[in-house]
Amino acid sequence: MSSQAAIAVLSRDEIQLAIRSLTSAQWARLKAVAKRFAFGRPIDPNDLLQEAFLRAIDSRQCPADVDVVMFLVGIMRSVVSGEAEKARNRPTVVMSAVVDEQGEPVDYPDPSPSVEEDLIDKENAMLIRRSVLALFDDDPDARVIVEGDMDGWSADELRTYTGLDKTAYDSKRKLIRRRLNKTYPEGWKP
Amino acid sequence: MSANNNPEREALDRLADSLIDDILNASDEEILEEFREDGGDPEQHAAEMLALFEKSVMTANKRRLAEAAAAAAVDRAAAVSRPPTPPIDIDEARRRLRAVRANPNAPEKLTLAARNESELSDADIISLMEDIFELGATPPDDSLGTP
Repeated sequence: MSSQAAIAVLSRDEIQLAIRSLTSAQWARLKAVAKRFAFGRPIDPNDLLQEAFLRAIDSRQCPADVDVVMFLVGIMRSVVSGEAEKARNRPTVVMSAVVDEQGEPVDYPDPSPSVEEDLIDKENAMLIRRSVLALFDDDPDARVIVEGDMDGWSADELRTYTGLDKTAYDSKRKLIRRRLNKTYPEGWKP
Repeated sequence: MSANNNPEREALDRLADSLIDDILNASDEEILEEFREDGGDPEQHAAEMLALFEKSVMTANKRRLAEAAAAAAVDRAAAVSRPPTPPIDIDEARRRLRAVRANPNAPEKLTLAARNESELSDADIISLMEDIFELGATPPDDSLGTP
């Protein structure tokens, strides 16, 4: 028997029961995560959650030792990642100079992502990045932390760079989260 | 959440990952406090989310029902297009089973199965003959109407 086969997974009924038993704090946490995943993307946090529920009860296996909140967060991550991948690879019909037997032009799908869509996404992302950073112009430490997050710095690196102790650093991160929530309660709006 | 060839999007994805880690590591009290700060009522929100979940369950159930109905329709269509099974001559089937029992070259398992032929019902005989044909122990005989 493989090690994978030995992993106990929750049944569909058990997953449903676990989700129905979530506390209000867990629901609020899930919504906060959904908002962060959806931020700057053409997806509504509630739609993202609903898709995660559907996959959770229909097609995903939840190991018995995995917290159901983490399970749903993992599905949301996969949905967002899959949607981004799909958008990048979406074939578009392009006109060609080729004609069929009747002399009509033949259209064929372009396997490369739409250059126009790519450009729009890049411009949009650039605009969001600038706007988010500008939110912390009045707080150099917070701005460094946000910029560091964007550049993939670790918490240790950021603490060393800013000279903040753990408490001050954690408090700064909370400030960043709250300011983003307040400024964009419904997600990113240009 | 990587985005090929779009460093700005990748930067936003990394920020989102860090903020999500913060949310997952925050205490329940902090999460509820922030939720209230943003003007939300956690209890009402929980009820709304539960309703959204139940809607998803109903959608999933309907989808499974539709899939089952489609599969059943395919089965029914296949059954209608299948030619009717010719009737099986039970006397001939019993005779052939006795012949299997009498065959000294037949495997022991087959002769054992055929030994109690007189005690077997017609349905048992037909089922047994079908098994024997499947094993290739004796060729199907058109006169029996067997497979």
